[in-house]
Amino acid sequence: MLVGDSGVGKTCLLVRFKDGAFLAGSFISTVGIDFRNKVLTVDGVKVKLQIWDTAGQERFRSVTHAYYRDAHALLLLYDVTNKASFDNIQAWLTEIHEYAQQDVVLMLLGNKVDSAQDRVVKREDGEKLAKEYGVPFMETSAKSGLNVELAFTAIAKELKHRSMKLPNEPKFKLHDYVKKEVRGSGCCRS
Amino acid sequence: MAADVHKKKSWEVPNGSLAPGDGQHAERSESPTPGLAQGTEPGAGQEGAMFVHTRSYEDLTSPEDGAAVARSPEERRGEPAEQSSMEQISKDFSELSTQLTGIALDLEEEMRPGKEGKLEPSPQTNRRDSVLSGKEEEDVTMDAWRMHRKHVFVLSEAGKPVYSRYGSEEALSSTMGVMMALVSFLEAEKNAIRSIHADGYKVVFVRRSPLVLVAVARTQQSEQEIAHELLYIYYQILSLLTWTQLNHIFQQKQNYDLRRLLAGSERITDNLLDLMAHDPSFLMGAVRCLPLAASVRDAVSSSLQQAKAKSLVFSILLSGNQLVSLVRKKDQFLHPIDLHLLFNLISSSSSFREGEAWTPICLPKFNSSGFFHAHISYLEQEMDLCLLLVSTDREDFFTVSDCKRRFQERLRRRGVHHALQEALRTPFYSVAQVGIPDLRHFIYKSKSSGLFTSPEIEAPYVQEEEKERLLGLYQYLHSRAHNSSRPLKNIYFTGPRENLLAWVTNAFELYVCYSPLGTKAGAINAVNKLMKWIRKEEDRLFILTPQTY
Repeated sequence: MLVGDSGVGKTCLLVRFKDGAFLAGSFISTVGIDFRNKVLTVDGVKVKLQIWDTAGQERFRSVTHAYYRDAHALLLLYDVTNKASFDNIQAWLTEIHEYAQQDVVLMLLGNKVDSAQDRVVKREDGEKLAKEYGVPFMETSAKSGLNVELAFTAIAKELKHRSMKLPNEPKFKLHDYVKKEVRGSGCCRS
Repeated sequence: MAADVHKKKSWEVPNGSLAPGDGQHAERSESPTPGLAQGTEPGAGQEGAMFVHTRSYEDLTSPEDGAAVARSPEERRGEPAEQSSMEQISKDFSELSTQLTGIALDLEEEMRPGKEGKLEPSPQTNRRDSVLSGKEEEDVTMDAWRMHRKHVFVLSEAGKPVYSRYGSEEALSSTMGVMMALVSFLEAEKNAIRSIHADGYKVVFVRRSPLVLVAVARTQQSEQEIAHELLYIYYQILSLLTWTQLNHIFQQKQNYDLRRLLAGSERITDNLLDLMAHDPSFLMGAVRCLPLAASVRDAVSSSLQQAKAKSLVFSILLSGNQLVSLVRKKDQFLHPIDLHLLFNLISSSSSFREGEAWTPICLPKFNSSGFFHAHISYLEQEMDLCLLLVSTDREDFFTVSDCKRRFQERLRRRGVHHALQEALRTPFYSVAQVGIPDLRHFIYKSKSSGLFTSPEIEAPYVQEEEKERLLGLYQYLHSRAHNSSRPLKNIYFTGPRENLLAWVTNAFELYVCYSPLGTKAGAINAVNKLMKWIRKEEDRLFILTPQTY
């Protein structure tokens, strides 16, 4: 389930992941919540992701609340060019604690890193906040595609490991995996 | 005046329910109504209607709201609508149950004194909101801004901007302040401002506490019709928030900035205003059906009917802004206005094209105090066929989603998929099918079913302005026919570029556009032929056997 303030790029991130395209041009606001499927192959196993894309606006809060508890994983997004969306992350985390399941897989994403000149939230700020709450963190760009695939794949791997519970397999460490695989926004431009 | 339009009525059904009308000359409003009894006109449903036929909110306010909404026969025959008053309306509303939604509760929480500061959006959020609205904000000091044909403003009673069709609300806050001052000034004298007419402009006010809606228009529409459009905007806002929540918010905090809750909905309201400028559905207060062979429609309807769930109230299949099928819970009726709001919601966002959306929606004419939850999805990506399943249960997404799957499966099994595709290829019919040379276009509404039919608008109305001009002419005829102080039943209008005829009876409304070369006698003859044709085609153009679960 994708959550976060309105306009941070939840739908764009999903469309980039699903269709490999970027929704350029006008802003389309999601109405309510939007349900889509995507089948991924993770380590040779097919994983069907059922993805809820949510509307960030306050008036849809009640309907998103109702579906938090069904979610196995949450991608919490903010927009690195919008300080308010970052400041609201705390409120979102509170909400997640209240409504989501205890063992939900959670990941914090700072989106829109392609707009380097408009950036107001530093990468370190995101990292610091993520560390504080103990959640994996990465910066993404739905426009350039940076780390988009990774975010969803990491979630899929984690969920696959949880559901299969193979005794001989070493425990999948989401944090380490993300740390190892994540690419900085810098390397893309160079 | 087409005083003798009704003389020849060979097309009428010989069931004795005709109004007495031999040789009467319908002299404006004085004459008895000619035409058919309600329920037997072409397009009337065989087993009752799909839409609301009870005394509705509009009926109570009809003198100011215009009469373009479906009315019950009782209402029309019985009591006059004049007794309307704000007291009556608020009484009606106060009798509604006041079930608070999750959102409203959240708000309540936020509105506790200690948290007041949080309510004022920071400059940051404001900036973000204006980015989010997605429309190019115009400079309100420019001439181009002044030149728009119709401005629409919504403000709170505290004079705070809620919505402006053009330009940013912030830039207009002083203008809106003046508007509120005008409203309050007259109210202090126990009066109400309804409109200002000056310099070719009509400034129309509609007061629906806690909101004030204002239009500044240079169109040919009557004050009544502009007010009617403003009401649609009001209902649009209610459909997002519910009446209960709207009132609750302003009771708690009079100067609440409602834009915060409406963020992202500007596009929906903009779209509604654009739609009203070129779709006659709103003027007619009725719904247009996709032309479809009755056998195919019946198969679609019964597939919908079988794919039911406990929490489902309405299952609606639509294409563009035309209805394909509507199945409803027994004894539950949808109001055309609510259906129009649903149509508008779907046409205003491309985000429904993929995936399945699940959204709270209030149908204000059905019940303005609570939310339904609507499941919205397109059947196939390339096909313009949208399925709308309206449920009472917020938690029921997966059940309702399964209804969609079952519906599609049944469609496939019945093999109507291909026929549906064919029908979608020609969503409009040509007026040439009627076979009347001088006939250019018409709108026919069956009052008992709340459905209307109309051919595609063809040459010479090709340009967008020409189409709007034609709709403007219909609006003019409609406003003359429904003028609350002097309603007309028959109108024959001769203009430089076309002749028009309007005929309004208890059972139907007909507006016809002819080439300017025809005669009145010819036009009247053509009406008979046209009515015969509609009767012949009615099972394709209308939904005659509405289904219930």
